[in-house]
Amino acid sequence: MAYSEKVIDHYENPRNVGSMDKNDPSVATGMVGAPACGDVMKLQLKISKDGIIEDAKFKTYGCGSAIASSSLVTEWVKGKSIEEAGKIKNTAIAEELALPPVKIHCSILAEDAIKAAIEDYKSKQS
Amino acid sequence: MNYFQLFGIEISFDVDLSHLSQSYQALQKAVHPDRFAHASSQDQLLAVQKSAEINDAYQTLKQPLKRAEYILTLRGVDMPNEQQSFSDTSFLMQQMELREMLGDVKFADDIDSAFTHAQQVLAQEYQQLVDVMQQQIFENNTVTNALACDNLRKLKFYQKLNIELDRLEDSLFDD
Repeated sequence: MAYSEKVIDHYENPRNVGSMDKNDPSVATGMVGAPACGDVMKLQLKISKDGIIEDAKFKTYGCGSAIASSSLVTEWVKGKSIEEAGKIKNTAIAEELALPPVKIHCSILAEDAIKAAIEDYKSKQS
Repeated sequence: MNYFQLFGIEISFDVDLSHLSQSYQALQKAVHPDRFAHASSQDQLLAVQKSAEINDAYQTLKQPLKRAEYILTLRGVDMPNEQQSFSDTSFLMQQMELREMLGDVKFADDIDSAFTHAQQVLAQEYQQLVDVMQQQIFENNTVTNALACDNLRKLKFYQKLNIELDRLEDSLFDD
């Protein structure tokens, strides 16, 4: 299966790979996995007091499409409010990366990672 | 007729693999195309279909995770869609650490022992989880079936880790 140029670009030059301190109250951590392929994705967001995402890091063990999806998401969420970030849809990710149907689940995983991170942030705030 | 009935064994996670393999060969022999060389084309077709079914049954019952999934499906347990994301954070954190452990093997001072260690850790955790799932399947009630289903999903991550482990072994020792 041929990867699109954008997937290859993100795969070869992943943006924002890394980790943040998950115990920091301003850091939201979203962990998701896909049993079908065994992919594991960690997305971390550094969120300001007024709810703006200042920084994003990811670490993904999975195929090229899963890495590209999470890399793209870290670029997209920076500067957004958590409400805006929560509205990012997997279809937009899949479209941007020109993912084939068999790889759509990678974009779903990335969307779910954002949601899981936001949930983690909300539970930390309450 | 379900796959267990096909092999004349009771529905259980505990399967005697050598017995299964013998039954498989006997069943395949009975539907072998040579035996149907002079049969009607309809019977030939039936034999081919039966052979395919026996093969599917064997492949399913032979592998522990497929066998577990099949038993749970027979019991009508609602299996979550494979594509559905899994979000047990502490389990996934641990999975990430195991993947990091595999990734670090090639940088170890003593690669052989680092690899052996990783192999042991994975084998032990996999077996522990299989044992827990086996007990849950054995108990066979709504609660334990759901728990078994959850553990089956976790085991699929270990299955992927084992593939990575094999790949690592090839890349480290294949020269």
